[in-house]
Amino acid sequence: MIDQTFDLVIIGAGPAGMAGALEAAKHKLSVLVLDEQPEEGGQIFRSISTTERLRPEIFALLGNNYQSGRKLLFSFQRSGVKYFSGASVWLVEADKSVSFLQNGIAHQVKANRLLIATGAQERPVPIPGWTLPGVMGAAAADVLLKSSGAVPSGRVVIAGSGPLMWLAASRFAETEVSILAVLETVNFSNYLQALPYLPQALLASEYLKKGFRIKMQLRKAGIPVLSGVHNLRAEGAKGLEKLYFTHRGNSKSLELDTLLLHEGVVPNTKLTQQLGCDHDWHELQSYWYPLLDQWGNTSVKGVAVAGDCGIVAGALTSEASGHLAALESTFQLGKISQKQRDAAAHPFRKEINHHKAVRPFLEHLYRPNPKILVPQDDSTLVCRCEEVTAGFVRQAVKFGALDLNRVKAYTRCGMGQCQGRMCELTAAEIIAEAQGKSPREVGYFRCRPPLKPITLGQLAGLEKKIKAS
Amino acid sequence: MVQLLKVLNNSIQKGLMLKRLQKSQDKVVTFWFEKNPVQAQEGESVAAALLIAGVKYLRYAQVSAKPRMPYCWMGVCYECLLEIDGEQNQQSCLITVKDGMHVRRQLPAIEKI
Amino acid sequence: MKSANIIVVGGGIIGVSLAYGMAEQGEKVTVLDNGRGVNNASRGNFGLVWVQGKGAGMPRYAQWTMEAAQTWQTFSEKLGEKTGFAIDYEKQGGFEVCLGETAWSQRKVELEQLQRESSFGKYDFQMLDRQSVQDLIPGMLLGEAVTGASFSPHDGHLNPLKLLTALIAALGKNGVTLYSDQQVESISYRNDCFEIKTSAENFSAKKVVLACGLGIKALAQQVGLEIPMRPQRGQILVTERTKPLLAYPFVTLRQTREGSFMIGASHEDVGFDTGTTLLQMRSLAGHAVQIFPELSKLQLVRCWGALRILTPDTKPIYVESEICPGAFVVTSHSGITLAPLHANILSKWILDGATPEGFEQFHSKRFDA
Repeated sequence: MIDQTFDLVIIGAGPAGMAGALEAAKHKLSVLVLDEQPEEGGQIFRSISTTERLRPEIFALLGNNYQSGRKLLFSFQRSGVKYFSGASVWLVEADKSVSFLQNGIAHQVKANRLLIATGAQERPVPIPGWTLPGVMGAAAADVLLKSSGAVPSGRVVIAGSGPLMWLAASRFAETEVSILAVLETVNFSNYLQALPYLPQALLASEYLKKGFRIKMQLRKAGIPVLSGVHNLRAEGAKGLEKLYFTHRGNSKSLELDTLLLHEGVVPNTKLTQQLGCDHDWHELQSYWYPLLDQWGNTSVKGVAVAGDCGIVAGALTSEASGHLAALESTFQLGKISQKQRDAAAHPFRKEINHHKAVRPFLEHLYRPNPKILVPQDDSTLVCRCEEVTAGFVRQAVKFGALDLNRVKAYTRCGMGQCQGRMCELTAAEIIAEAQGKSPREVGYFRCRPPLKPITLGQLAGLEKKIKAS
Repeated sequence: MVQLLKVLNNSIQKGLMLKRLQKSQDKVVTFWFEKNPVQAQEGESVAAALLIAGVKYLRYAQVSAKPRMPYCWMGVCYECLLEIDGEQNQQSCLITVKDGMHVRRQLPAIEKI
Repeated sequence: MKSANIIVVGGGIIGVSLAYGMAEQGEKVTVLDNGRGVNNASRGNFGLVWVQGKGAGMPRYAQWTMEAAQTWQTFSEKLGEKTGFAIDYEKQGGFEVCLGETAWSQRKVELEQLQRESSFGKYDFQMLDRQSVQDLIPGMLLGEAVTGASFSPHDGHLNPLKLLTALIAALGKNGVTLYSDQQVESISYRNDCFEIKTSAENFSAKKVVLACGLGIKALAQQVGLEIPMRPQRGQILVTERTKPLLAYPFVTLRQTREGSFMIGASHEDVGFDTGTTLLQMRSLAGHAVQIFPELSKLQLVRCWGALRILTPDTKPIYVESEICPGAFVVTSHSGITLAPLHANILSKWILDGATPEGFEQFHSKRFDA
């Protein structure tokens, strides 16, 4: 069944995964990288190789933020690390054996150390009508541009908050996409609360300058930007047709074809939850994240995390944290001394500290609006898979289901195929609000395998061995 | 057969969901959706290629049978699940088009077996 | 100090069945649940209302099970009428599949033995050959290894989560007070009265019923009862939904009303670990695919492990403490099947001391060395 044990198995091939792999390979660790995507890059550098090769105009459009990923990609490809694309990890066990599915065949491989680098996902934005065809994430649309060179073809409205929303707006404004408006949902009070952190943020001023440039660009392009937008509601028969919202107390509406929603990103915690790692609740950004030491070690021995599936901090921090986690693995496996590890870590720590400076400002400014975290309209779907409404979740709480797992048993919320990825955070917020608690007390779903689709036949036929070259 | 064509026709309404940004057609990839040939470009995901071709939704919701389209485009929303070359529940936003691929919708709670 | 009439410790299937039954007779009941039961048997079970094969070595238990099966329809209808909740109860009979030749003859021998032991009359079952089973299930082809099955017309299934919800709703309608976040820490007995300390409150009660599964052992000692029990893990798989294909439950495979298939279960001695293992998942998947190869196309959506509460002979323990009269223990790993009896008959035992014939066979003293 298992032919060889790898020194390090890395799950994810974004900046953190690639950096971790090439660092580990440098120290002659045997490394296997498992990536569910068809090629390296994660989300920020999604399909970078294919885009450069087949869609050079788009490659140019995506700018330096994207193009800079080439360097990391080349280093990764030259490192000689074993890389499996299209490999979805559906189970990780306590002994660090990893079960994954590739080309319809189930495999299992053993690791001495695990590095989880599965990145972040967009926070789902549950507004009434968000399941209508025509509604998608803003970062999702950005990923679509990178992965397939496609853009929304009709009238587009971008709504939400956060740096990635502005980035998406900026990119689409440079193309023939017809943007009717950008609607920002940030409360004015967020600006006031973020202000004390502005001086610190200026130490990493490239982020702020970028934000400013984007706003200027949109103004120049004649794209209306409205701030303080609330009460978004999407409507349509077979697909999206109209968007309602309030702005400065006035009710407004727009006819449109595509709505791009964004309210920040949240870590992909399925693997760390499935492994039983300790997690904590991020008060400002309202998400669960695994508790890590300064090397990315989780509370489970031999399991480390790098990148945005820890705390969301962006690509450059992710890359640096990948290096640190790999150095730690190298030290733990006895290939380098503690002194050597600490010395090699120095430049990466410096990098992380530099980017850290802007986080408090951004986290306060883009603190999610409670009205968005907790859908006010009872008819809003919380669980897309099982079609459970906010009202039904509230009813469950009244009935005595006081935490997430009990609400799941009562409503079926979280029992669908996405296993809570689209509903868990929202359900937690609703349950917490109904009881005047923090979502921290409400907990998260007991994470059970399989983490990714696998059929009974594939599971029953599990037999292949993995050889390391 | 008539039922399927009806479904397909209904899904290609006026106004396409997505369009290609770059017009060059270096390498065309042809695959099958239901019984219809679809032309895509090399390097596109199956889900994107279908929406570019005019398909308005990829699946129906499990309970209400309302139409659904991909939301996250990165493998977490599971709205892009299609049958590809006989394999069920493929996340089509993560799979690149290949010549001769056979892609089918999966009707909810009905025809899995 | 809150004063209560009767306190039931444990808000799982058994606890709420008992409370429901007592409340239906007009008693004021309080239920204390610690809210941590999400991985307990009540929420992790397979949903079978099962008679076939039960009671080997204790005919009274086989009879008890049969009684339950015969009253289930009425119980379900009454619960539905009271609460408006459907629990998807169906009784069309059930199968235990036989894979391979030896299994078929072994099964026949087991069931004939049970028939001989059962003193209460016909304990009916049928041994069906492969073709007969296939004829009853036209929707899917049987796997090659299936040689036949045993069939009992008394078997059925339901949705266990809906049952628990419906019972809790019934408690609400009957004015039962249910605390869903209180862990009972100690019980003391003084002056014909029980003082119950929880994590949040103190209660006094005239009677206390311990129906908290694996938590019974420690609390029972505090009221002078030794209850031997141990956890046994069962892992279960659940698939995505599909069209209705299987009307009859198998003891290891059933299709829910929603359309998903449940496959179970393992029997593991792993202490209190409710985790899942690749080994068992593969084994269960392999088993399902052996029975119906077409199931191999279905996506596995989730699996879990839950703990059965097993007494040394796997039969129920129903006992009242002699040292602390008024303290009762009710435990069984068939809480679903026996729910109507727990509600209708055991409630009378707790309230009035009325016991059915042969009841002493369920006393815990049968385990005394």
